[in-house]
Amino acid sequence: MKSLRQEFADTVLDLGTEHEDLVVFVGDISHGILQPFAKQFPDRYYNIGICEPTIVNMAAGLSMAGLIPVVHTIAPFLIERSFEQIKLDFGYQKLGVNLVSVGGAFDYSKLGCSHHCYSDVALVSQLERSQIFLPGTASEFRELFCSTFENGMINYYRLTENPHNVPLKPETITSGSAVRVISGDDLTLAVVGPQLGNAFDVVSGLSQEGVSVELLYFTSLKPFDSEELRNSVERTGALLTVEELSTRSGLFDRCLRSLAGIDGLMFGQLAIPDFVHTYGTYQELCASIGLDADGIRRKVLEMIEAR
Amino acid sequence: MVKRSGEGHIPSSFSIVDIIDYIYGNELRYDRSNLSWKDRDYFILSKGHGCAALYVVLRKYGVLSDRDIENYGTAEGILGGHPDATRIPGVEASTGSLGHGFPSAVGLALGLRIRDQNNRVFVLVGDGECHEGTVWEAAHVANNLELGNLCVIVDWNDSAAQLMPKDDLPAKWKAFGWNTIEMDGHSTKEYDKVFSGLSYSVVGKPTVIIAHNIKGKGVSFIEGHGPWHHRVPSDEEMILIAEELVS
Repeated sequence: MKSLRQEFADTVLDLGTEHEDLVVFVGDISHGILQPFAKQFPDRYYNIGICEPTIVNMAAGLSMAGLIPVVHTIAPFLIERSFEQIKLDFGYQKLGVNLVSVGGAFDYSKLGCSHHCYSDVALVSQLERSQIFLPGTASEFRELFCSTFENGMINYYRLTENPHNVPLKPETITSGSAVRVISGDDLTLAVVGPQLGNAFDVVSGLSQEGVSVELLYFTSLKPFDSEELRNSVERTGALLTVEELSTRSGLFDRCLRSLAGIDGLMFGQLAIPDFVHTYGTYQELCASIGLDADGIRRKVLEMIEAR
Repeated sequence: MVKRSGEGHIPSSFSIVDIIDYIYGNELRYDRSNLSWKDRDYFILSKGHGCAALYVVLRKYGVLSDRDIENYGTAEGILGGHPDATRIPGVEASTGSLGHGFPSAVGLALGLRIRDQNNRVFVLVGDGECHEGTVWEAAHVANNLELGNLCVIVDWNDSAAQLMPKDDLPAKWKAFGWNTIEMDGHSTKEYDKVFSGLSYSVVGKPTVIIAHNIKGKGVSFIEGHGPWHHRVPSDEEMILIAEELVS
């Protein structure tokens, strides 16, 4: 399966010829796979090094010069460390940028919490002009990036290293639209990013047992498809969100805002409550906080039984 | 402005008003009737709290109006204690949080080179601002990218040395590979000599001019460091300030 990171490199290479204003900054990651872009457009590719706030700051200067900056590095350094630069240099000044991260949540699972990132989406979502995309596969990234990178907004693309393998029609992946992957009646399961694979397996298995769960998949949190969510939850009366994001501000919060005014709903959330002080594989870290198929199944059944 | 609104940094502004006036009057290529002219030079005030100096210079050269100055710090106006580029004509960057304007200027200088333009970028930073890590990150990057279209002016008025007295700024900038020049920051003769000797190129060494300035320059009881940094003068003090400035 093609990695999202490789797709990022291929996408900017494809766009670079037509878009002479596209400039890529990296913080000493993905340097190898971006070499085709670097060789073809040497004056538009810069490996600036280990100084993430300055890289983001410099990207604002590119934007002032009328260029389209793409900044790529590891999520905690690109977003959490550099948030004041994102806020002031792009938010306050109304400039455009494309921020492309890897290592969100705990993709760097064996490197410890310094390289984890749970709050990136919550931070970027504070800015009115931000758009937030969490593609779960390479083709989803290409679809979302190509349709948004030159919109002049603060675009954040969080690339997972663990893509899902659920086959979706490419035309269903568009900015601001949810995909109804499986229809159901007893509960709405809303999922973002790579957890779609686990959620799909759980919902498919439960349907064999007569439990009818509706599965909604979100690749963009801003803009957010409130309408699809409301239509679903008004029917099912129960919502469980699954996200590799902080419990405090992510998919669950977006859903709550979207569902305000509907009485009698039941809510559940599977997310990241605090630092995950565990070394191991990505799957092991997910399982340690219930973000795996067992955890999702357990929570779905618990909610349905409690109704 | 500051007296009427009750907000502003007078000594910081007096420290840099001479050099900003010189740059706008003698160095900067700009068109006040077409401020977004693509071939203009850029001036970015990275130490945004000294913006009263920038505002009066923009007024002097016809970019801002008397009404703009009169409405400083009010809801009716566009000017305030740190400059907002989305509202103020002629202001290229919104600054205030120190250590932002300079790295933006580095990106801008690179961006102009990418676009095959030969505009120059001037950016003024404070010596206290040089405590920020991003200043040195950006200095390091600008030298490595050989941004010969970039000129930094450091307002060296010894603010930083109050806290961290080991403050040999010329040695630091030289160590970062910059063409480093020192001058008296309040002398037109020095400005003429220094600026006429500068050369700019799309690829080359960036230049830093370290200006020996006096915080609060021009008013004896404001000069130096102390309570005037962010103080609003009384009615009596305003009379004394005006007398000293006129004399």
